Amino acid sequence: MAKYMIRPSRRAVLSSLAAASLVSAGRRVYAAPAPIRVGCTLALTGPLAQTALVHKLAAEIFVADINKHGGLLGRSVEYVLYDDQSRADQTRSLYEKLITVDNVDLIMAPYATAATLAAISVAQRYGKIIIYSSMAQVYLATYDRAFPASHGGPHPEISNPKVILDAWASTPHPPQSIAIAASKFPSALFEAKGVRDLAQKRGIKVAFYLEYDFPSRDMNPIAARFKDANADLVWLGCLGVEANQLIEAMTKIDYKPPRSFYLFPASGPLASAPGGEGATAFSNYEEHPPMDKFKGADVLIPAFHERAKAAGMPYTRVDFQAATEFAAWQMLAAAAQATSSLDDAKMADWLKHHQVETVVGKLRFNEEFNCGDDLSKVKQVQKGKWQVVWPVAFRQPGTTFIAP
Amino acid sequence: MPSVTLLGQAVIAGVLIGGLYGLLAAGLSLSWGLLKYINVSYFALAFLSAYLTYQFGTFNGIAPWWSAVILVPAFFLLGVLQHWTFMRLRVTELTSLVVTFGLAVLIESLIQWIWTADFRKYESGFSGLTSKIGPFFVPTLDFLALVSATILAIATWSWLRWTYVGKALRAAAMDPEMASAFGIDHRRLSFLLSGICSAYAAVAGIFIALIATLAPSEIGTWIGVAFAVVIIGGVGNPLGALLAGILIGFAESVTMAVTQPAWAPLVSFTILIVLLLWKPRWT
Amino acid sequence: MLLEASHLNIAYGDAPAVWDVSLDVDEGEIVSVIGPNGAGKTTLINALAGLLRPRGGALGIAGTDLMSVASHDFCRHGIALVPESRRLFAAMSVEENLDIGGYRSAARRHRNESLEQVYALFPALRERRRQIAGLLSGGQQQMVAIGRALMARPRLLLLDEPSLGLAPAVVNDVFAAIGRIHRGGVAILLVEQNVPKALEIANRAYVLEQGRIVASGAPEPLLARAEIREAYLGFAN
Repeated sequence: MAKYMIRPSRRAVLSSLAAASLVSAGRRVYAAPAPIRVGCTLALTGPLAQTALVHKLAAEIFVADINKHGGLLGRSVEYVLYDDQSRADQTRSLYEKLITVDNVDLIMAPYATAATLAAISVAQRYGKIIIYSSMAQVYLATYDRAFPASHGGPHPEISNPKVILDAWASTPHPPQSIAIAASKFPSALFEAKGVRDLAQKRGIKVAFYLEYDFPSRDMNPIAARFKDANADLVWLGCLGVEANQLIEAMTKIDYKPPRSFYLFPASGPLASAPGGEGATAFSNYEEHPPMDKFKGADVLIPAFHERAKAAGMPYTRVDFQAATEFAAWQMLAAAAQATSSLDDAKMADWLKHHQVETVVGKLRFNEEFNCGDDLSKVKQVQKGKWQVVWPVAFRQPGTTFIAP
Repeated sequence: MPSVTLLGQAVIAGVLIGGLYGLLAAGLSLSWGLLKYINVSYFALAFLSAYLTYQFGTFNGIAPWWSAVILVPAFFLLGVLQHWTFMRLRVTELTSLVVTFGLAVLIESLIQWIWTADFRKYESGFSGLTSKIGPFFVPTLDFLALVSATILAIATWSWLRWTYVGKALRAAAMDPEMASAFGIDHRRLSFLLSGICSAYAAVAGIFIALIATLAPSEIGTWIGVAFAVVIIGGVGNPLGALLAGILIGFAESVTMAVTQPAWAPLVSFTILIVLLLWKPRWT
Repeated sequence: MLLEASHLNIAYGDAPAVWDVSLDVDEGEIVSVIGPNGAGKTTLINALAGLLRPRGGALGIAGTDLMSVASHDFCRHGIALVPESRRLFAAMSVEENLDIGGYRSAARRHRNESLEQVYALFPALRERRRQIAGLLSGGQQQMVAIGRALMARPRLLLLDEPSLGLAPAVVNDVFAAIGRIHRGGVAILLVEQNVPKALEIANRAYVLEQGRIVASGAPEPLLARAEIREAYLGFAN
């Protein structure tokens, strides 16, 4: 099993060590304190590998940066990373190993819901604090020392639909009707039902509410139904590439919905899709003003571009995944610094009673499931790039919400 | 009650996707029926072809029809090589499913390694092409896929039906020993056929690249429906596979248009079960 | 000599083994091999057809050594088999079965001529040529099996139990056809349990018991031997 250390490369380390020893020979008489070891697994291989890579880069950027500035509590930070192969069962045993064999000081959660739950259960057994960055269903994390860095609030199924409909309600001609189709994927379904119920409550006509099989091979019939219903707002509870498939299918039958929202699209492909202009989706971070001035953004953004490009990723902008992972590390460091300790109980207690300034904004953890506010935003494809259009405070100066 | 436009559009969409189902299922059907290999690696090979079409088109400026000129013979050779390996390893009908599944996973990993798990879309410039017939839209690429599938299916079917080589292949599938007694060198013919199966995967892949968005994990989503298509169409029957593909595409699409789309996958398997119970002559 | 087999040893899986069998068939001859069930008759004939490869001995046709010839090339040397229980390509039509028989390129050139000969021999097949072979009656299937072998334009026709499972009237038809084929100039090796029929038609016969040839010669002298009469015709006198 590969073990990844956050060191540039063996050759770079060796040469810099050699250089450092030449320069400091005779001057440095004390030994450096042992590094703080932070253990984590990520899906470095398997179906989740692509998105997990984003998390790895963000974590590495944070660790490199904190070490550049003297480390944490005067000690350098070492990132101990294992490959969980996109499998929750692997994750469970690797976290056991991290805690009992590697004796890491702190742990970080892995990528994706199933792995996160597995890691939380191990953390709970050893009383470790665990900050997770990729699980929307916060109510599944009942462990009292588990903290979300993603922030849909304690009840996203209620607060998320509100964000979307509020956003559209702010436009000159709010939608009078909505057509909803959702992939049969747990988190997509609860969002879809949430938006259906809220739309009805607000007097928006629900043209149809459909569920389709995940993953979908053929979006053409669904596109035909959207065209037929001709609702003011198309709401697709999709995952990954389905958003692109629907847009292509709608283009083929010469239909462009006046307003559209996609739940969990693949950000890059949707932004660059020929028919993607004007499409909206959730966001928590886009690297444009004012968010590019948030704490840590100056570190994360340039480093992420560089590393993502080097890793051959087609979409190198900082988005939800990278920002949330980075924020998770900011929370961990903040709790350690504030309590001057690596004690799990003390750190967890501090987080519950304090707010942390992160790259995604100010987070608090004093509500149900250690949640705070729903900080979800709505972003829109404008000229091939994502722009946050709602809430207005996060809009880049000079941009507008493009709506009929 | 759905509108006529919706129904008509759904029928068109279903029939057209049936062409792609037929192309994808052809390799499995032929190899299962005539080589006695349940070869699921063709789905992965189809995606390999799709990624190569994407790669050639996006980074080398090679038009998809030139990709076809390269990929179809290349995949033919790949199929021959694959068959040679299977013969060397003494793969049987029983073990073929496991071996080829392993191969499919391997190819999927290779694709993921080269092109990452990220979504890839081949912007050929043709995806928006569509023609309008009355109130209905017929997407050009999907239509071309169906036309190609039809031409290939009829050609392959006729080849198997009317030529000596075709008859020999069918005979050897039923009783290789007796076929050999009449001078049929089954080994040599089976190389030809496995090359053809693999070439089918190449053609399917080119259309997948043109029509769909690519991700390595998409490979698995086609296997279930392709098995249904093969069994409904009659194992070893390329024309049957195409007709079954159209039938399933049509049924799924209409289901998605008039009821809950989530029921669509049930439709293909319901058709399969009904046909297995009813056992019409052609299955 | 057309076919020459000497000291053949054949063993294959569950098939009864054959030891030290020497046998020959000359141009224009009908030779029968008789023997009880399990004596190795089918093993022997399958080896002569190339389906089973002998472990030892020599096998040749018209001076060509067959021991190193590939199974699928036996028919190129003029050997065609009508196998036990016919083994038709059941899902294919009658004519497709016949076409498989005439698959080798030399035979293909004479396709129409051969087809006419087969239909002349078995007129019932002409009207059924588009039917699925597996759905025909037993007698008709036997006709297809013989016709298929004739399509290969053999010099030597190997027939394995052509009367098996057929009604007596049909058996007569089949043997009549064999006679006509023979008169057309094809040498015939016949393996048969119907000993009276087999000996009636044959120029010479071999008796195979437990994998070994125990007697051979012209039918009359063979039938004159009491032990053979007793064993195969059920009476001693």
